[in-house]
Order: sequence, then C-alpha cells, then structure tokens
Amino acid sequence: MALARPLPTPDHESAEFWRRVGAHALAVQRCGACGTVRFYPRALCPECLNDQPDWVPVSGRGTLYSFTVCYRPASEAFADRTPYIVALVDLAEGVRLLANLVDCTPEQARVGMPVTLAYDDAAPGATLYVFRPEAGAA
Amino acid sequence: MTDGGGALVITTRERARDLARVPIVVLGVAETHTHQIISQMPDLTVTGAAATGPRAFAMAGLGPGDIDVAEIYDSFTITVLLTLEDLGFCTKGEGGAFVAKQRTAPGGDFPLNTQGGGLSYCHPGVFGIFTVIEAVRQLRGEGGTRQVADASVALCHGTGGVLSSSGTAILGRL
Repeated sequence: MALARPLPTPDHESAEFWRRVGAHALAVQRCGACGTVRFYPRALCPECLNDQPDWVPVSGRGTLYSFTVCYRPASEAFADRTPYIVALVDLAEGVRLLANLVDCTPEQARVGMPVTLAYDDAAPGATLYVFRPEAGAA
Repeated sequence: MTDGGGALVITTRERARDLARVPIVVLGVAETHTHQIISQMPDLTVTGAAATGPRAFAMAGLGPGDIDVAEIYDSFTITVLLTLEDLGFCTKGEGGAFVAKQRTAPGGDFPLNTQGGGLSYCHPGVFGIFTVIEAVRQLRGEGGTRQVADASVALCHGTGGVLSSSGTAILGRL
C-alpha cells in the first residue's frame, strides 16, 4: 500500500493559519504591538514577545528566493511526484514561505522569478498552499 | 550509537601558570543565533559566522591572516565553505577556490581540521568540542605527525542547529 502524503497537523499556534488556508485566504500574523509581520505562525512576536497578533491577508504575489529540485522523493509518499520543486518564496508582505512550486518544470524555475500563491485541496479538511509561476514568467 | 564526549579544563591565567600542562588562552570568543528553522534562514549563503568572526577577531585584536590553524565544524561540505567566507578568510563565493589545490591537505598552505574533521575523524553530536580540543593540541605542539609547525594562534568555529547557531573562539599560547 502506498504511503499516504503527509498533511498539515494544526496545533494551537497554527490552527487559525490553516483554517484561513483552507478558506483559500492565506494570512500571516502581524504583531499587535510593534507591527512586525512574522511567518511561521507562533504565539509570541519574536521581536517584542507580544501575544496579540492581527492576521493580515496576503496579496499572493511573491518572488522565488531559492529552490531545489527533488528527483529522488523525500519519502515514498512523494514518489509519484518527482521531479518536484521545493521553493522558498518571498512574499510581497516581507515574509518567506517554504512550499512547492507547481506548474513549473525544473528548467523553467529560476531564482527571482515572480510567482503567485495558489491552493491545493489535498484532502478533505487539509489544504496546502503552493506557488506557480506568474503568468508569462515561466 | 553514542553522542561522544570531550572535556576541557578552564581556569584563570594565574592558576594556569603553575600547571604542568602548557596553558592555552582564550583570546577572543563570540556566539550568535540567527533563526529557528532552516526556511527562515535570513540568507542561505551567510551564516552566523559573519557576526561571530568579526567580534571574536576584534576581542583578540587579530585578523584572519593571524590564524595558524583553523578547526571549523564540517557538518556538510558547504558548512566549511560558507564559514571560511563569513570569517573573512576569503571573500563571499570564493570558498571553493580557497580550499582547492590541496591547500587544506596535510602540509598545505592553510591547515584546516587537522584531526581529519567530522568526515574522517568522527562525527558525534558534540563535534564542536573536538574543534577546541584539536586546537589546544596543536597549540601545545602535541599534534604528532599532524602537527602544524609553529602554530601559535588557532581559530575554532562551531555551527549548530540548522546552520542557525554559531560560535567562534580564537585561542593562543599564554
């Protein structure tokens, strides 16, 4: 039996984040005191330790900071997806996200290319965020 | 499986003068922490050594050109190259060329990881302390067949976490 694809496991710090991703409306935390925007989601502001963040919807526009192409799957669960691209994307809002870059061949990917946020409804109740090349970029 | 082990005896300069073994002095030291998870590393090509190197050198009143032997944690090949660049032994992007042509091999121009490094010596979780132990042995002239001639100043650098914590120590003879 094929190994199931691992899916997010929301916890008390990330549940609200994943709920918003599930609604196809990814948002990041912004400190309610000092205004620092942070990713990944966590309880306390890494700058001032305030615990009252606001959630800021993102534009979905970003640039490819770096990437790697996986020709050998990280686990059997990804065997039918190779080659796949693991990307670091800098969002316009100033945070960096780790996600798959989809609808893009390894040859098309290049550092600095504009990408846009998209969603992958992987399973009931489990949505992933991914990026794809901005129209005309790849 | 073992996490290995090592130990250092640390005391004052005054006390060290009376001891039977050759004392080695900490000339400069600095530590930093840059991120929690690898995807949040501020710059994939710059490690915390870019912060700890200048601070440790400033404390010691020395620069990269003063180092006779370098012991640099080598979790991965790129760890050493980035660290050499960030500590100022060469410019950013020149790490590969810097170690080429056997320059870090025994007898080479730039004595590096003289006990073999994690790749050839051992790599338990605590490898950082072995960088210090080897530096002390070199400065004491206890290096045996791998002894670097006239080694009087050594640099040790440990990297931990996910390329996220860095510590630099510069050691010398009393």
